[in-house]
Amino acid sequence: MRALVTGANGFLGRHVVAALLARGIEVRAMVRSAARLEALGWPSSVEVFRADLRTSRELGRAFEGVDVLLHLAAVVSGGEDAQFAGTVAGTERLLGAMATSACQRLVLCSTFSVYDYSSTRRILDEDSPLHQAPDVYTRDGYTISKWWQERVTRRFVEKHGWDLTVLRPGFIWGRDHAYLAALGQQFGRHHLVIGPLTRMPMTHVENCANVFALAAADARARGQTLNVIDGPGERIWTYLSDYMRGSGQPGWPLPVPYWLAIWMVRLAFATVFRRATKVPSILIPRRLESRLKPLRFENRRLRETLSWTPPLDYQQCLVRTYGPETPPSRGVGAMLPSTGGSGCRLAD
Amino acid sequence: MKVALIGAGQIARQHLTCLKALPEVELAATCDLSPATAEAAAERYGIRAWFTDHRAMLEKARPDVVHVTTPPTSHFRLAVDSFAAGAHVLVEKPATSTFEELETLVRRAQEAGRHLIEDYNYVFNHAPQEILRRIGSGQFGAVTHVEVLICLDILGPGGFADPNSPHPALTLAGGAIADFLPHLASLVHLFVGPHRTAQTVWTKRKPSILPFDEFRAVVDAERGTAALGFSSSSQPDAFWLRVYGERMQATANLFETRLTFDGPRNVPKPLRPFFSGLEEGKTIRRAALSTLLRKFKGPGAYEGLWELLARTYRALADGSALPVTANHVLEVNRMVEALKPREQRP
Repeated sequence: MRALVTGANGFLGRHVVAALLARGIEVRAMVRSAARLEALGWPSSVEVFRADLRTSRELGRAFEGVDVLLHLAAVVSGGEDAQFAGTVAGTERLLGAMATSACQRLVLCSTFSVYDYSSTRRILDEDSPLHQAPDVYTRDGYTISKWWQERVTRRFVEKHGWDLTVLRPGFIWGRDHAYLAALGQQFGRHHLVIGPLTRMPMTHVENCANVFALAAADARARGQTLNVIDGPGERIWTYLSDYMRGSGQPGWPLPVPYWLAIWMVRLAFATVFRRATKVPSILIPRRLESRLKPLRFENRRLRETLSWTPPLDYQQCLVRTYGPETPPSRGVGAMLPSTGGSGCRLAD
Repeated sequence: MKVALIGAGQIARQHLTCLKALPEVELAATCDLSPATAEAAAERYGIRAWFTDHRAMLEKARPDVVHVTTPPTSHFRLAVDSFAAGAHVLVEKPATSTFEELETLVRRAQEAGRHLIEDYNYVFNHAPQEILRRIGSGQFGAVTHVEVLICLDILGPGGFADPNSPHPALTLAGGAIADFLPHLASLVHLFVGPHRTAQTVWTKRKPSILPFDEFRAVVDAERGTAALGFSSSSQPDAFWLRVYGERMQATANLFETRLTFDGPRNVPKPLRPFFSGLEEGKTIRRAALSTLLRKFKGPGAYEGLWELLARTYRALADGSALPVTANHVLEVNRMVEALKPREQRP
């Protein structure tokens, strides 16, 4: 079995590559032309395909001999328009190329951000309401582009009759990516913690990658949409304390009840920020809700569909994140067939 | 007035947000090579039709005005097709890749009896317009010199210097900086008129895929002189405009709302710097607050685009003079042409 992985050198992507290899799946890793890969330590069996979804003309070649696409690539920085162009138009171009190939199987990395937190009550799971147009355009650029990416993908799947698995991870955390948007607002060294007892929908990057590799290989994942979280999540206060201790960052956390923060933001929005163009997300009520609304998060469908339990528990994840470094190629269950040197095969 | 837009990414959202608010405008269609980009723009702004083929859009939507907001190298053919379909064209800067293309475009517009308008949004920001008002009232005196300098980090990741996906502007003579020349030239033209001669310095200070990252020029124009510049290295980001008159001087940062005037005062001459400093400090404090509020309450630094579009559509509706004419566009672009580097590498 051969998998094409987009965004393969990204934070999640590099762990997905390791998890696929650990399952004995051949990997073609799509990375941008200027990407530096030396530090990733990929074995020579990883075939590197250099392309940019925004501009490359020969994406069709990337699908030669590929059985499953794991589409992780997304632009997560820059302005709203740059994110849309990179994530959505890039997905259109990628799937347009897939349509010319024999590949029929696709695993999409979506996100919890496609859920409409404002309309969700108590429990957020796969049956929770999604954003609707045109309301989605009041959200941040990341949400708009990921919502559209899923929409575009489902249209392609419907048109071409492909097998699709949509995985929606919560906050993905791990080494060098431990500070999460749900922690509130950072002011210098100090943290405004909104709703300190709220549990966060979170998945450690190695657990998350393990789900992606499983979904690529397991027929039970076909046609499924699954939220990817390790469990009910840690409380913000607990996680922030572990973050500050683990990263060695000094500073003080200042707790604010969620209800107080949301009412203050609603009042400010109604009076001052309504027509704002460049206000921080945390000052826009619906965006604040999508980061911090206290809900219960469940991964029951993931556990039942794929018989999955997270390979690493929270304490092990803390060690992986803040302890001595473990190379990604030796991640969760990474029983590499043969590392055979550190070079990679170049396909483009 | 039916309006369509070609190129629904990047700057398009600023145009559509403004157009949605104009009473003379009925947004008829959007068009983009990416179906999702075209559809998202249509859905977001309540536009009933979207297309991926601009010719199909021109035929089916029959717009009165077309906004061309694609990368600059595609402007020419899109504008030509729009004129042929009987539409006025409002094109993002730079209007064309070369001056020859612009001359052809102006000719096509005249043959079709339509207007070509290039977006000189910063000319219509509050600060240049307020300076212009004071010049008109006589209190500023005749303008002798103008300085325009953009300090903008265009070397950061994901922008013009992205090595993974070369920006379309890099094909222009001068590279990414050429994208900003119409801003500089249109402001110089506003205060001292068409240029007569220009001397330029194009250099590169830092390693990147850009052909140049620094630009300076001195221009002799019909009503005065000008110094123009672009710096990728100087920080923080700023857009400085300084206008020197016979009785007053004005300083503005067009990325903010800061605008200060210095002129004669009814105080003994030795005390003039003291009172000038006090007043300038007060003005800057007020500007700091209004810059913040401008971000919260309106289009921010794009306020000039809103003003330009409002004036343009009023003029098209009642047949009065347009704020940007074809002659105006030709004069500004003659200056742009004179500012371009002779070689594409330093």
